[in-house]
Amino acid sequence: MTITDRSTSDRGVAEVPLAASTVHASKVYGKDATEVRALDDVTVGFETGRFTAIMGPSGSGKSTLLHCIAGLDTLTSGSAYIGETDLSTLDDNHLTVLRRDQVGFVFQAFNLVPTLTADENVTLPLALAGRKGDRDWIDEVVRTVGLEDRLDHRPSELSGGQQQRVAVARALASKPRIIFADEPTGNLDSRSGSDVLQFLRAAVDDFGQTIVMVTHDPVASSYADRIVFLGDGKVVDEMVQPTAERVLDRMKQFGD
Amino acid sequence: MLRTTLRNLAANKLRLLTTGLAVLIGVAFMSGTMILSATMAETMDDMFASAYEGTDALVRSSSVIETPEGTEIRPRIDEAVVDQLAAVDGVAVAQADVWGVAQVIGRDGDPVGQPEMGPPTVGASWPVDELNTWTLEEGRAPAAADEVVIDRKTAEDGGYAAGDRAQVLVNGAPIDVTVSGVVTFAGADSPGGASFSLFTVEAAQQHFGEVGKVDSVSLAAEEGVSQEELVERIAAIVPGGLETITGDEFIQENQDAMAEATAFFDQFMMVFAVVALLVGGFTIFNTFFITVAQRTKQHALMRAIGASRRQVLVSILLEAVVIGIIASAIGLGAGVVIAAGLKAMLTAFGVALPAGGMVFGLGTAVVAFSAGLIVTVVSAVSPARKAGKVPPIAAMRDIEVSSSGYGSKERIMVGVAVLALGAAGLLYGLFGSPSNGLAIVGGSAIVVFFGVSVLGRTVSLPMSRVIGWPLAKSRGIAGHLARQNAMRSPKRTAATAAALMIGVGLVSFITIFASSTKASFNDVIDRAFTGDVVITSPQQFGGSGGMSPELTERVAALPEVETAAGVRGGVVEVDGSVEFLLAADEATFDVFDVEPVAGSPDDLDATSIAVFEDVAQDRGLSVGDTVDAAFVATGPQELTVALIYGENQPAGDWLLGKAAYEANYVDQLDAQIFIKGADGVAQEDVLAAVEAEAAAFPGAKVLDQNEYKAEQLAFVDQMLGLVYAMLALAIIIALLGIGNTLALSIFERTRELGVLRAVGMTRRQLRSTIRWESVIIAVQGAILGLAIGIFFGWALVAALAEEGLTVFAIPVATLVWVVVLAALAGVAAAILPARRAARLDVLRAVVSE
Repeated sequence: MTITDRSTSDRGVAEVPLAASTVHASKVYGKDATEVRALDDVTVGFETGRFTAIMGPSGSGKSTLLHCIAGLDTLTSGSAYIGETDLSTLDDNHLTVLRRDQVGFVFQAFNLVPTLTADENVTLPLALAGRKGDRDWIDEVVRTVGLEDRLDHRPSELSGGQQQRVAVARALASKPRIIFADEPTGNLDSRSGSDVLQFLRAAVDDFGQTIVMVTHDPVASSYADRIVFLGDGKVVDEMVQPTAERVLDRMKQFGD
Repeated sequence: MLRTTLRNLAANKLRLLTTGLAVLIGVAFMSGTMILSATMAETMDDMFASAYEGTDALVRSSSVIETPEGTEIRPRIDEAVVDQLAAVDGVAVAQADVWGVAQVIGRDGDPVGQPEMGPPTVGASWPVDELNTWTLEEGRAPAAADEVVIDRKTAEDGGYAAGDRAQVLVNGAPIDVTVSGVVTFAGADSPGGASFSLFTVEAAQQHFGEVGKVDSVSLAAEEGVSQEELVERIAAIVPGGLETITGDEFIQENQDAMAEATAFFDQFMMVFAVVALLVGGFTIFNTFFITVAQRTKQHALMRAIGASRRQVLVSILLEAVVIGIIASAIGLGAGVVIAAGLKAMLTAFGVALPAGGMVFGLGTAVVAFSAGLIVTVVSAVSPARKAGKVPPIAAMRDIEVSSSGYGSKERIMVGVAVLALGAAGLLYGLFGSPSNGLAIVGGSAIVVFFGVSVLGRTVSLPMSRVIGWPLAKSRGIAGHLARQNAMRSPKRTAATAAALMIGVGLVSFITIFASSTKASFNDVIDRAFTGDVVITSPQQFGGSGGMSPELTERVAALPEVETAAGVRGGVVEVDGSVEFLLAADEATFDVFDVEPVAGSPDDLDATSIAVFEDVAQDRGLSVGDTVDAAFVATGPQELTVALIYGENQPAGDWLLGKAAYEANYVDQLDAQIFIKGADGVAQEDVLAAVEAEAAAFPGAKVLDQNEYKAEQLAFVDQMLGLVYAMLALAIIIALLGIGNTLALSIFERTRELGVLRAVGMTRRQLRSTIRWESVIIAVQGAILGLAIGIFFGWALVAALAEEGLTVFAIPVATLVWVVVLAALAGVAAAILPARRAARLDVLRAVVSE
């Protein structure tokens, strides 16, 4: 199965190649009576060079979806792809290398390794790969997120917003195929949060980066090009060129 | 509170196990040691009790010289007293006892037994039926001068059965005999592993005693006569110069002497048990320290809902009590296994111990159990206090678990003071020659270890930085992270390293002491070995035994040999103090260069003595002066100083000429023969010629200088092997501690490890990060230990300079190996924690609640 096959047969349209996708992805926790279907036959694609947000109420399976596509968790059935690579075919070692070389991460909190400086945290995936990386690019990324004078600081010496900016810089530093952000602004005040979101937006606009972000915040999701709505482990809706108001309206419908 | 404590423990079985294991090993070792020594003591006591079961009284010479090792030597008495005593009313039987040295030569031509290391090889007279405690298993009692009865162990080792022709080494030369019988003793093949050759009284006197004399007379009383009554009746008729003791007193005397001889061994083993417990204490302290930090929230919550500070503290102490009780109880049981293992190990090291069951006394149980419990609880006090101090508000805060801190100024001052106190105590104990020096030195050594561990967190950070530097440079991000992790909590790293520090400290101390001993003795032996070839003989532990002078004569007569100097030894009392002396034919003095300072070797006659220059100075002696000497055989003698000499290797402090030795000692046996080859004869030809002569004297070993050196120093390596084996235990406990700390740290760092794994750290990289952290901790402990060990070694060597330890030698290569091994041990300690870390669920680590 090729990308083209998949995108045409499952989504009908193939405007842009997919950076990541799932086909009939299901994730089931527990057994029999206690069975919980966190993902229920999800087929979704994330286009290269675009900023996609995944939204949904708690328990809708949005984080599970992100973890499974990012190679942090495994599906019960169906497939998840980064580019053309079927993640289920990879062992832990190859999966790790794939995350290191092709995926960037921004988590809600505890993003950084406390014993490393900001600079060392930014270049961590490169260091793990035993590479120096493109220093000009890294400098540019660091400048973009405004961390030039904080590079020698440890995470404990940085504010929450600064820590998240380090995390964003780390995600960008290795020029991954795709960046996954899991509630990246969840622990931040609105000012720091909007900074981080602007950097993510700029990464897509200026550097052509692909980003997939899980959030429950309508404002955060309005920075995306497209929103995929999840409910009860299924894709229930999509929205292109969202605004905060439209998202809020759509969310209210979920409440009904 | 108790229920909460128990729940906590049950929920953390692995921690319980690893914490408890440290105590368990210490207790097991301690009880094992005590069981073994109790077992040995009881076996020996039983042995003497049954050997002299029927003896009601013993008559012997009342003149006695006690050697510095505690052996009593008495002159023999006239055998006529035997018949006199037999005639006393109330005496059922009077038996002549003759004792000496005899060694059966096995079928392979080598003497049976290792009297230098293990139990003695004894020559004795066959007892009369009434007092005979031997059981004849084969054959019959000796009846003729060339008949011998041997114990079954010797028979088996030598390959003999009753009726076989055999050879026995007596007076340094082999004699041909017939094995007339084989005996066992109280169900054992031999009493205490000793080798016995039993002859008729006449043969015993002739072979290894003195004709017409006996060592003692054993008496059995007639029915209805008590031991005390018997002694009273005998006292009335025994000639002057003899003493009489009851059989019970004699048994007690033997038991006491044996207990004294083995006391050193007991103390020796106990030291290791204490070391093991001490190291275990560090591990416990560390585990509690970390888990208390990890449970800060839980304690804060308890405080918030109304638990008092005291209750929290008590809950931690209760936890320690429970761990202490469980681990000590299991440790006691394991002690039986350890005792059996120690016994096997000692046997492997050449120390023969009697077979038999284990004696597990109440005292052993109480002491070992309380030691384990106390160490556990005391180690938990400080962490428990810390737990008690957690404020209730901590429950609501998000707390960074890692605690940095290099130690406050006060702490550094206290640490330095403790260290200085320990060092001062150590030096005082060594150089100030106080009466209880050993206890002071031991106690001070512990204080030094404590001082260093108080300062540990201050020195830990720079040490981790330096040790980790090459890793960070060469091992990429894994090395870098390992170094950072080792540096993040200096307190923890230091406490973990401290446990290893003790073991390595003692290992390097012992190694330095041993190599200094060797280096010093190398020098001495070089000075002592002045000929070309030397012949040595199997010496009994007390110094008796040797080679027949016939060998010396035969070697001296060889054309390849210029001079052969047979050296004999003995004890003498000079002006009230017991000294060892050597003797040789004064004509051969040039072989061992005594370097005369005053007088002449030629003047040494039957009533003169030679003194080493320094001793002469101390005692204010010059040539022509007289000294009051007392010999075992001849009693007080006045000797004239005929020679003062300037080299005491190998001559020793006191030296007799041949005539004086022959006049004052019974046995005329050469302990060593120094040989100088004739001019123009190659060393190997001398060696070959001497070897050919010596072949007729089993047990005589012909050695060149290097072989001689190796043989003289073999005991050092033997001791070293034993000590290493013991200290391995302390090191294993320390490694458990490192593994434990790592495992607990990993638990703490779950999130961080999750991030690392998420952004692309492979399992292999993660394992290597943890491994390198472990290596940094281990090397840190090793280096601290090394520093302490070098200090201890230096102090002891300096203190013993007067005893001949003149060279302070640091065996650099060996010590480098110690550090390398510590690093490897660090790798081993990290195996399990690293595997656990690598198996961490990445997702659980990064998902926030």
